[in-house]
Amino acid sequence: MDILTELETLCGLNGISGDEGAVREYIISQIEGKCEYSIDPLGNIIAFCKGIKTPDKKLMISAHMDEVGFIVTYITDKGLIKFAPVGGVDPRIVFGKRVSIGKNGIVGVVGGKALHHLESDEKEKAVPFDKLYIDIGADSKEQAEKYVSLGDSVCFDNSFITMGDKIKSKAIDDRAGCAVMLDMIRQGVEYDTYFTFVVQEEIGLRGSTAAAYTVAPDYAIVLEATTAADIPASSDDKRVCELDKGAVVSFMDRSTMYDKELYQLAFDIGAQKGIPVQTKTMVAGGNDAGAIHKSRGGVRTCALSVPCRYLHSPSCVISKNDLQSVRALAGELSKRIFEL
Amino acid sequence: METFDILCKLCPSFGVSGDEQEAAEAALKILAPYGEGTFDKKTGNAVFRRSGYDESKKTILLDAHIDEIGFVVTYITDDGFLKVAPVGGIDRRMLLASEVTVFGKQQVRGVITSTPPHLEDDNKKLPEVSDIYIDIGMTGEEARSIISLGDKACVVNSPVRLLGSRVSGKALDDRSGAAVLIKTVELLADKQLGVNVVLLLSSKEEIHGVGAMTGAFDISPDMAIAFDVSFAYTQGEDKEECGELSKGPMIGISPSLSRELSDALISCAKEKNIPYQLEIMNGRTGTNADMITVSKGGVRSVTVSIPEKYMHTPAEIVDIDDIDNTALLLAEFIGGLE
Repeated sequence: MDILTELETLCGLNGISGDEGAVREYIISQIEGKCEYSIDPLGNIIAFCKGIKTPDKKLMISAHMDEVGFIVTYITDKGLIKFAPVGGVDPRIVFGKRVSIGKNGIVGVVGGKALHHLESDEKEKAVPFDKLYIDIGADSKEQAEKYVSLGDSVCFDNSFITMGDKIKSKAIDDRAGCAVMLDMIRQGVEYDTYFTFVVQEEIGLRGSTAAAYTVAPDYAIVLEATTAADIPASSDDKRVCELDKGAVVSFMDRSTMYDKELYQLAFDIGAQKGIPVQTKTMVAGGNDAGAIHKSRGGVRTCALSVPCRYLHSPSCVISKNDLQSVRALAGELSKRIFEL
Repeated sequence: METFDILCKLCPSFGVSGDEQEAAEAALKILAPYGEGTFDKKTGNAVFRRSGYDESKKTILLDAHIDEIGFVVTYITDDGFLKVAPVGGIDRRMLLASEVTVFGKQQVRGVITSTPPHLEDDNKKLPEVSDIYIDIGMTGEEARSIISLGDKACVVNSPVRLLGSRVSGKALDDRSGAAVLIKTVELLADKQLGVNVVLLLSSKEEIHGVGAMTGAFDISPDMAIAFDVSFAYTQGEDKEECGELSKGPMIGISPSLSRELSDALISCAKEKNIPYQLEIMNGRTGTNADMITVSKGGVRSVTVSIPEKYMHTPAEIVDIDDIDNTALLLAEFIGGLE
């Protein structure tokens, strides 16, 4: 399977933090027979891929399976569904969107007062989460409760579309990383490698904390999607990174000060192999590296990310070329890291 | 045709005010077996005359607007992003991260851009339409080869069924009204009528009702009914300002409307046991009836509204039962006209 088809399949699955089961099952179905794997108590997949060579150091490559979304917290007497965000969701992007609730994919929409009846100050401000609700067409609590339960997961309704050489979907953060790892497992590795598909990144790097302990790696490569703000509304110094400029390798973000040698190695490989690589021009965002690099006595860690516009929205946009760059760079780095 | 299937043909079709042809033709295609319909490039309206049109009979005009709110492209940046202005009343709450179709030389998909929360200091303030950009994933050169200034865009969201008989999607305002007209013509298919039935699928309602003005002039009806959506109560609304979903058509009463027609519709609903609600207004109605009543030497007109939640968002909700009951009321009413 090519990596784009893989990404489309992965993005179509619903898996907010703590409810990654569907994503996990799919990934297991793809790696079965290709490597040894186990599922830890949190739901992380820890896969060991035997290579041609067995190095004296351990490498862990990691991506998270979960995505941002919502959780059902209350059902009103009128059958409207109240919810809270799971992970960082911008309240400005929620109103008017279609969502899918629970295992049965009950369709709902996020609504509120009609535009025509808003007071002037209400027109200026995003509706806060505690004032938003989902309408599934129910008229009463009893009716709604037949279809929806408290604690049900809520995901943005998805459409995976192509826009020129770009892709638009929900959940690209971080199914892009999962797709790259699946491709690496399929192609086979040169050195023995641990691949961890982890849970609960979006609510505080929880899955990776446990997985890094279990694997106890010497080196880690985190595969991610990271904020690209290369839109006209951002000045040049606030764009963080840009689409079509290649794999993003950061020196620092809000969770990690990255290993300098690995950072340099990634750029050297890019120059030698003609793989486009860029860095982040702002200290922004964070990812599982934040948990992994300080696991046990410390792990030398780097993060390779696909630049992604409108992260944490139903309309994440990435470039196909950048995804290929991350794939190529991850492949090379997973060999060269053992030469350090 | 099943009402949901009609909506699935009408709602996804493109019809931002001034560019209604695709949506109008989707409606005319369904109506084709029942009479003669034409799309009028002069007005942007689609006019459908039911079979058996007879100059000697009086004409009732049934209006539903076929246009929808959206955006018009005003500028293309060097890196391929589109600046837009609103066409009709755009709800700022629903802009960010919405998926859109841009109707250029070909239809192109895009998304409305937002700064990610990681970089946002104040994520409470909503952007103005003048602040947003549409990202179509193209370079400036590619974008300019397909998109021209003045091209229109609208949000993407095909109809989906919710619980019971409720439906959500974009452009239910006012393709629900168009669906009422189509259902009515279907119900009246083989009936001999005392009047000519002419449908006006009007353009540009969302920008001052221009289509209804010109359309009513050309048709010269003897009476008219304008079918549009109106506010259905939901949490946070004032009950006094709203109808209710699933409680039937909202028959309009207003100083600007023909009370005789309002009363006739109410009697018909009572007699035929069709659920209905009243929508009391105190002057202009905010619908095409405002234009039609003062067309030529004046036309006796009334409004009938389909209750709708979340108007002017991609999440609009109507109840199919309301559409069906509105069509039933209309068919009974017209069947009784002499």
